Amino acid sequence: MSELETDDQLVIYGRRFSSRLLLGTARYESPSLLDDVIRAADPAMLTVSLRRQVAGSPDSGQSFWNLLRETERTILPNTAGCLSPDEAIKTACMARELFQTNLIKLEVIGDEVSLQPDPFGLVEAANQLVRLGFQVLPYCTEDWILCRRLMDVGCQVLMPWAAPIGTGQGPRNARALRELRKRAPNTPLIVDAGIGLPSHACQVMEWGFDGVLLNTAVSRADNPVRMAGAFASAIKAGHDAFVAGPMIVQETALPSTPEIGRPFATDRSTRLATTN
Amino acid sequence: MFVIVNGESRPLPEPQTLATLLISLSPQAPFAVAHNEEFVLRRDYGACLISPGDRIDIVHPTAGG
Repeated sequence: MSELETDDQLVIYGRRFSSRLLLGTARYESPSLLDDVIRAADPAMLTVSLRRQVAGSPDSGQSFWNLLRETERTILPNTAGCLSPDEAIKTACMARELFQTNLIKLEVIGDEVSLQPDPFGLVEAANQLVRLGFQVLPYCTEDWILCRRLMDVGCQVLMPWAAPIGTGQGPRNARALRELRKRAPNTPLIVDAGIGLPSHACQVMEWGFDGVLLNTAVSRADNPVRMAGAFASAIKAGHDAFVAGPMIVQETALPSTPEIGRPFATDRSTRLATTN
Repeated sequence: MFVIVNGESRPLPEPQTLATLLISLSPQAPFAVAHNEEFVLRRDYGACLISPGDRIDIVHPTAGG
C-alpha cells in the first residue's frame, strides 16, 4: 500500500481501515446471503448485537458467531433497543465480555416510534462507558451541542443519523449535517441510519463525512449482494470526490472548449451588425 | 427451588452458584450472563450465589444493525 493510501484511511480509535463502509448484519434472509454481502461490501466493521438465544434462529448463536469470525472483520457490538443509560451500560458490559472488544456502538433510544436517540441519556451513558474503558461510537443526531457534549466526555467518533433507523429517507437535515462537519473537522463522523440509496451515501461522503453505516438499505434490497457493491462504489466515489476537491459552482455558463481557433469563427459582432 | 432463566421458570436443586447453574444448563458458547439484571464477569461465576426466584439472563451473539 502506498503512503498516500495509508494516509487516506478511516481511523477509528487508532484502528485503520481502507474501507469506509460499516455494515449491519441484521435482516438477511440467510447466513450465506450475509456472507456474500460481506464479500461484496468489503466493510471495515460489522455491527452485531446480543440477545437471548432463540431456538432455530439462523442469525444468532454459535453458527452466526463462526460466520462472523471467518470474515476476519472488526466487530462492533451495539446496544440496540436500550431505553436508558443504565440498560445501555449493562448491555455494553455484556457485549465486551461476549465479543472481547472495547468498541461499542452506543444506542440510547428516546422515542420508540422514531427511534430517535435520547440526547441526555446518551451523554450520561457515554460518559460512564468512557470511564469504564470503552471506545464509544454514539448513535446521535446532527445537533451540534449534543455532539460537542459527546466529544467532551471522551467520544472520539460520532455517528449522526441521516434519518430515522430503517426509513431509507436519506439525509433529512443536510444543512445541519454539513455544519456539523465544519464544526468538528478533526473528529471521525460516520453517518448512521436512514440511508436508503447509494446516492445518499455518496452525497454525505462528498460533504466530507468519514464513513457510512448501513444495514436495511442493503438487506432489504431486491438483490442485496449487488446493492452492497453499489454502496461500496458510491462511498468510495464520494470520498474520492471530497478529497479531490470539487469545482466551485458558477452563476453563468462558461464554455469548456476553448473558443480561440474555432473554424468558421468570423467576428460575431461584425456578422450581427451586417445582418441587421 | 425455582429460578427464572431467560424469562422461563426452571427447577433447580439447592444450593447453587452461577457456575454450577451454567454447568447444568450448558449454554452454547459464546455467551454472557446477567444475574438479577446485573452483569456478572466470567471470573465471578463461582462466587455468585443463586437464590430462589432469582432472574438469570444468558445472551448470545445475534445479528444487529
